[in-house]
Amino acid sequence: MSDQDPTIVAGQRLLGVVPGKPAVGDRKELKEEDPVMVWPHLLVRHAVAALVVLFIVLLLGLAFDAPLRAIADPTNTPNPEKAPWYFAALQELLSHFHPLVAGVLVPTAIILGLAALPYIDRNPVISPRARRVARTTFTVFLVVWIALTLVGFAFRGANWGWVWPWQEWHGEL
Amino acid sequence: MKVMDRMRQSTIGRSMFRVPDRVTERDRAAGHWANFLLHLYPVKVRRKELTFGYSAFLGVSSLVLFVSLVVSGVYLMFFYVPSPGNAYGDIQNIQTSVAFGQYVRNVHRWAAHLMVIAVAAHMAKVFYRGAYKPPKEFNWVLGVILLVLTLLLSFTGYLLPWDQLAYWAVTVGTSMAGYVPLIGDSVKQILLGGPTVGSTTLLRFYVLHVAVLPLLLTGVLAFHLWRWRKDSMLQMDQQGGSDV
Repeated sequence: MSDQDPTIVAGQRLLGVVPGKPAVGDRKELKEEDPVMVWPHLLVRHAVAALVVLFIVLLLGLAFDAPLRAIADPTNTPNPEKAPWYFAALQELLSHFHPLVAGVLVPTAIILGLAALPYIDRNPVISPRARRVARTTFTVFLVVWIALTLVGFAFRGANWGWVWPWQEWHGEL
Repeated sequence: MKVMDRMRQSTIGRSMFRVPDRVTERDRAAGHWANFLLHLYPVKVRRKELTFGYSAFLGVSSLVLFVSLVVSGVYLMFFYVPSPGNAYGDIQNIQTSVAFGQYVRNVHRWAAHLMVIAVAAHMAKVFYRGAYKPPKEFNWVLGVILLVLTLLLSFTGYLLPWDQLAYWAVTVGTSMAGYVPLIGDSVKQILLGGPTVGSTTLLRFYVLHVAVLPLLLTGVLAFHLWRWRKDSMLQMDQQGGSDV
C-alpha cells in the first residue's frame, strides 16, 4: 500500500475533497411529531418490551413459589383477615369509616370519577405546566391510595392493629 | 432474507401473505393493512411515541401479561375441578405430580399480580401524558373498564385454590357488597350463591374467572386497541396528515 499512489484504490481515482454537506446530507432530520412506520420501529421495541416482561415473569416463577395455606375452614377465621393486596386500601378505609362509605361509596366514586375524568377536565392543553390542578389532584389521590394500600398490606396485624412489618409480617400475596 | 423471500414466493407462502414486495413505503403500508396480526396497529406513529419515556411500554406489557395468563391458566384448567371437595387437592396435585405444575402456577400467580400493577401504571402514565384528552376520551373510559375487569379477574382467581388465604380474602372482599343500599343483600346473594362463601361461590367464581371475564376483557381490549389505532391516525391527520 505504502509504495502505491494513495489516491488510486482498486482502479478508482480520488478526484478531490470538497468542503460541505455529504452527498446524502439532504435527508430530512426527523422531528418528534413526524410519523414513522410502525413496522419495524415500534414493533421491534414492543418485541423487546414483551421479552423483558416475559423474562421477569419466568424468573419470578423460578424464584418464588405461589403460596398455598391450609385447606379452607369456614369455622377457623384467621387473625388478621386480609383482602387481596389491591383491595388493602379499601380494607384500611373500612377500619376507619362506615362500610357504606368505605365499601360502597368510595370505590364507586373512584371508578365513576376515573371514567368521567376526560369529560370533567376539558382543558385541551397537554403540557404539564398548564395542567397544575389536574396533575396535583391526581397525584394526591395516587399517593394517598398507595399509602393506604401499603398500610393495609404490610402495617396491619392481629385485630387490624398497627404492626411494623420488620417485626411482624402479615402481608399476603 | 433470501430464504424468507423464496418462502413467500412459493404456493404456500403466497396463500399466507397477500403482501406486495416491500419496496416503497406505500408497499409496506399495504402489507401492514393486509396482515391480520398487524391490523390492530396503526401504520405509522409519531416518532416521540417510540421512546421509553413516552409510554414506558406499559400497555404492551399488560397485553403480554394477559396472554401469558391465558396460556398458563388454560394449562392449569386441565388439572382443576371447582368444587370444595376437589379444588384444594387438585392444587396440591398440580404442585407435586403435574409436569411443570408448580412452575406454571407460580407464573400464573406472579403474572396476575404484575398485570394489576402494569394496568394501573399504564393508566397513571396515560394520565400524566394527557393522552385521555380529545379525541381519545372514550378510549380512556374503555381503559377504566379494563382496569375493573383486571381487578375482578384477579379477585375471582384468588378464591380458586380454596385454602385459608383464598377463603377469607374473598369473605372480606365480598362482605362489602352487602352494604350496598337496598340491593346489597341480593348482590351478595348473586355473588356468593348463598349466605357465606361455599361450593356455589367457588363454581360461580370459576366460571367468571375462566370464561366470562376473560372473554369480556378480550372484547373490550380489541375495542381499546382499535380505538388506539384510529385515534392515533386521527391525531396525525389533524396535524397535517399521516403521509409525509
